Amino acid sequence: MSSKRHSILPPISQPGPKPPVQFSSTITIADSAILTGTNPITIATESVIHPRAKIESSGGRITIGRRCVVHERVTLGAIGNSSSSQRPNNVTGGGETAVTLADYVTVEVGASIEAGDTYIGEGTTVGVGSKVGAGAVVGKHCTLTPHTHIRAGSSVPDFTVVYSNGMRRTDKRGVAELKNKGVARQIDVLRRMIPSNPSKFM
Amino acid sequence: MSRRPPRGEYIETDTGNKVARKATLVGTQNIMLGGKTVIQPEVMIRGDLVRSIQSSSTSSSGGATPNNTAVAIGRYCFLSRGACLRPPGRLYKGAFTYMPLRMGDHVFVGPGSVIQAASIGSHVYIGARVVVGEFAILKDYVRVLDGTVIPPNMVVPSFTIVAGQPARVIGEVPEGGHEAFELRDLYKTVGNNPHPAPA
Repeated sequence: MSSKRHSILPPISQPGPKPPVQFSSTITIADSAILTGTNPITIATESVIHPRAKIESSGGRITIGRRCVVHERVTLGAIGNSSSSQRPNNVTGGGETAVTLADYVTVEVGASIEAGDTYIGEGTTVGVGSKVGAGAVVGKHCTLTPHTHIRAGSSVPDFTVVYSNGMRRTDKRGVAELKNKGVARQIDVLRRMIPSNPSKFM
Repeated sequence: MSRRPPRGEYIETDTGNKVARKATLVGTQNIMLGGKTVIQPEVMIRGDLVRSIQSSSTSSSGGATPNNTAVAIGRYCFLSRGACLRPPGRLYKGAFTYMPLRMGDHVFVGPGSVIQAASIGSHVYIGARVVVGEFAILKDYVRVLDGTVIPPNMVVPSFTIVAGQPARVIGEVPEGGHEAFELRDLYKTVGNNPHPAPA
């Protein structure tokens, strides 16, 4: 095997300050993840951050729960431009909360979660390229299918599936526990595949 | 860094692949390019997500060496700016594993598309901002219009046009229309000394 071949990862220009971080010892964070901002970033046990995921804490504190998977090209804590007019009254300031992911949240490729006390509930999957606006509250075990746009300040009840440009239905399959187990298995595999380098961000 | 003075935007390999220097390829040793494939800047390919469970004697594909290909791409494929290819993953016999992503020849992937298919046939056109869900199968001569979301596990038959969110079959490729899928000319228009597109 040609072990000489290396991954092509063009250097990332490090924009802005290095944020204070609080990592659990069991997390997996890729070397090429991007952490920036001034407010603290907390990542709880066994969460996985893929390469090129971007976590921006300039709009407030970012908290990632247990066993979350943040895929590549995700932006957590994006400063929303579209929603600045309709942002709720808890406008992001210095010590505010920007984004909170509860446990077992999966954020898929290219999704964007805006800053402004945005909350994603336990076991929710945010699909590829979705956008969750500032201050939105997404309930537990929801599924946001790809390219879903959740408006700033809106709320999504528990077990909702958002699909087809904003149509909603309730997930009555009752597979929440199984899905969580599946995520745990996936994390077991990812921990072996993604070279983790938490010390880079300390 | 480079001893050769002209340092082009693309790396051109002996087999004719043109890989942009600004592309993000993770786990390159598990990515197979068939030749004459164009990878534009900001493309991301996740070759590090390899299969973690080898299939038992049923397929016997590996033989002595385990087959570790995560992403296999055929000839004359064109991956536009910002596209992302990643192998699909699922639970198999109680354990999680990624499965290889296979792509045929003359596959065009539009800008910003995310592909997590199990297999894509030959002469497939995928538009811009398309999402192909995990373990979807696209057969030969399929046209996927811009902004389509192909749900996981969908099988798209040959010579169909799909669009929508979720994707639905909206038409067929007309007779004789399959020549539009040729990507040889498009291949020549990019690279370090590109030829202009034919009129």
